[in-house]
Amino acid sequence: MISDRVKSNLKQTLSESLLPKIGLLLLVSIVLMAIFAPLLATHDPTRTGYYSEQGSEYPPIGHEYTTQVASEGEIAEITVEPTSEHVLGTNNVGQDVYSRFLYGARVSLLVGILGTTMALVIGVPFGLISGYYGGRVDDGLMRIADTMLAFPALVLALALIGVFGESPVMVPDPFVMAGLADGMPESIPIPGTVTIVVALVTWVWFARVARGEALSIRNEEYVKAARSFGTSNRTILLKHVLPNSLTPIIVLASIQVATIILIEASLAYLGFSGTTLSWGYEIERGQDVLRTRPWVAMIPGIGIVLAVISINLLGDWFRDALDPNIEGEAR
Amino acid sequence: MSLGKFLVRRILQGIFVIWGAITIMFGLRAVSPGDPANLMLAEGATQELVEQVRREEGLDQPIYVQYFDYLQGIVTGDFGYSWQSNREVEAMVIERIPATIELAVAATIVAIVIAIPLGVISATRRNQPSDYGATLFSLLGISTPNFWLGLMLILVLGVWTGVFPTGRRPVGLGEAAMTFAQTGSPGDLFTWLRYITLPALTLGTYFTALITRLTRSGMIDELGKPYVTASRAKGLPNVLVRYKHVLRNTMIPIITVLGLQMGTLMGGAVITETVFNWPGLGLRLIDALDARDWPLMQGIILFIAVAFVVINIVVDGLYSYLNPQVRE
Repeated sequence: MISDRVKSNLKQTLSESLLPKIGLLLLVSIVLMAIFAPLLATHDPTRTGYYSEQGSEYPPIGHEYTTQVASEGEIAEITVEPTSEHVLGTNNVGQDVYSRFLYGARVSLLVGILGTTMALVIGVPFGLISGYYGGRVDDGLMRIADTMLAFPALVLALALIGVFGESPVMVPDPFVMAGLADGMPESIPIPGTVTIVVALVTWVWFARVARGEALSIRNEEYVKAARSFGTSNRTILLKHVLPNSLTPIIVLASIQVATIILIEASLAYLGFSGTTLSWGYEIERGQDVLRTRPWVAMIPGIGIVLAVISINLLGDWFRDALDPNIEGEAR
Repeated sequence: MSLGKFLVRRILQGIFVIWGAITIMFGLRAVSPGDPANLMLAEGATQELVEQVRREEGLDQPIYVQYFDYLQGIVTGDFGYSWQSNREVEAMVIERIPATIELAVAATIVAIVIAIPLGVISATRRNQPSDYGATLFSLLGISTPNFWLGLMLILVLGVWTGVFPTGRRPVGLGEAAMTFAQTGSPGDLFTWLRYITLPALTLGTYFTALITRLTRSGMIDELGKPYVTASRAKGLPNVLVRYKHVLRNTMIPIITVLGLQMGTLMGGAVITETVFNWPGLGLRLIDALDARDWPLMQGIILFIAVAFVVINIVVDGLYSYLNPQVRE
């Protein structure tokens, strides 16, 4: 499916220009950071530094950095500036900013990749069928797509989450299960509803691109020939149309990962996430203490920017190498 | 196809899409968990009261009757009452429109004023430091989440240096203009301008980056075309060729992309309004969502969908006027 010509194009573009190299290096670092977060983290990212005398809401057991004791019924807020213990300081509930930065990469990348995959699985067959059959099928399917596009993606996502709530899915951590990272959380919450919702608001782009490809491929000589031999439409779609429309779909997918990371972060910032480990959620929390502890909001934002930049650079690289004719601004 | 026929067809399509959007909103409400009657009433309401509310709201009717009632309400401009404040949804939407439009227009102005010169400089001085700078800026601009950018602007230009105010704006453009008309004092207008600067920069940055990219690549394409060489050979000054012909041809695809990006602008407005506590539709939408205030939420989302469809029809009309080939 990926021809040698494509491979050599990719290599050539990579060796000729600087930006794809930077993008690749950045993305590899972020992926490694996300995978090995439990080994690189210095603190349990979910453990708070609150101390409550009553101990009901925030049990104080085992909080090595709970140094102040609040008076009866009061909650003491333990926040420290960057020190050797907490290299990037702690947030307003006493959690380690550096460790949360690492775990935030996991949430962003997982939602980005899973969401894009789901959008692809819905959108590509939809678009291919629409473009290949044409006529009434195409008209009907494209009106559905138009209706989806009548809502700005973020607004539709908000409406869907308003309806379905925001349930997280607990994903067990392999490192902790293997006993390699003691003291780290056994499982981390991934925003399940949000992942489905971002797929539901972005699949239309895949449908549109796949449709455009199918429309032009269905008139190619080899497709006509296959049809004249009596090959079924299903086989033609799977064997001819799909493989030949992959290039622009791959380019779009790479850009969509970045778009979805931004949507997830925005939803989390607006308070609709389902996981407290999201970078967006952390920025929202940092907003309350922006004046006194600006690093709480600053650090996770740098994470988002670096992740999105690296993916955008890679998307540009794919686009330049695979097909210089397609527009890269489909978002 | 004539422009008129093209527009009629687009408008019919638009009406169909809006009907689809209304149906989706109704469907979402129908499948949403929780009985609306319970959401509307305070906790501990008696069963009789719940039944009464269900009857008044038509919730005891079969689903298709509810659907047609709902459609009828929307067609006659009746979006119901907010569950939280018991005020008419139309009024609650309309009073928030000006602030959002002010913000969106200001952001678009920021984007165009910065991006087009930057794109032109970038395209005409390819592979020079200014080109690299513009490219880096646009890369950062499309990759930065606007809520974070907003907070950083508040931090640097508001909190640390105190150049711009950071609280909720004390005055809208309408009132400020009124004061100016009545008393001739521009003080309120300046206040308004000081308060809108950071939100407009926040919302406008993504578009500035996008338009810079598009202008750059569009200009590079156009500059390589034979008519440019021909005009130069004819002795036309470079400035005239660049700004009168090349830039004009570059604008056509930019207008289309801007139209398509209106959805991003509206989504961005929701976030920007939240960051700056800007009293627009987006902030009200978030409030409505937090309170699960369905009528208000639907009213705002449908308004946004209709506005989006209308803007796209206008952009398509403009585009086909500029480039008649798309009508074929």
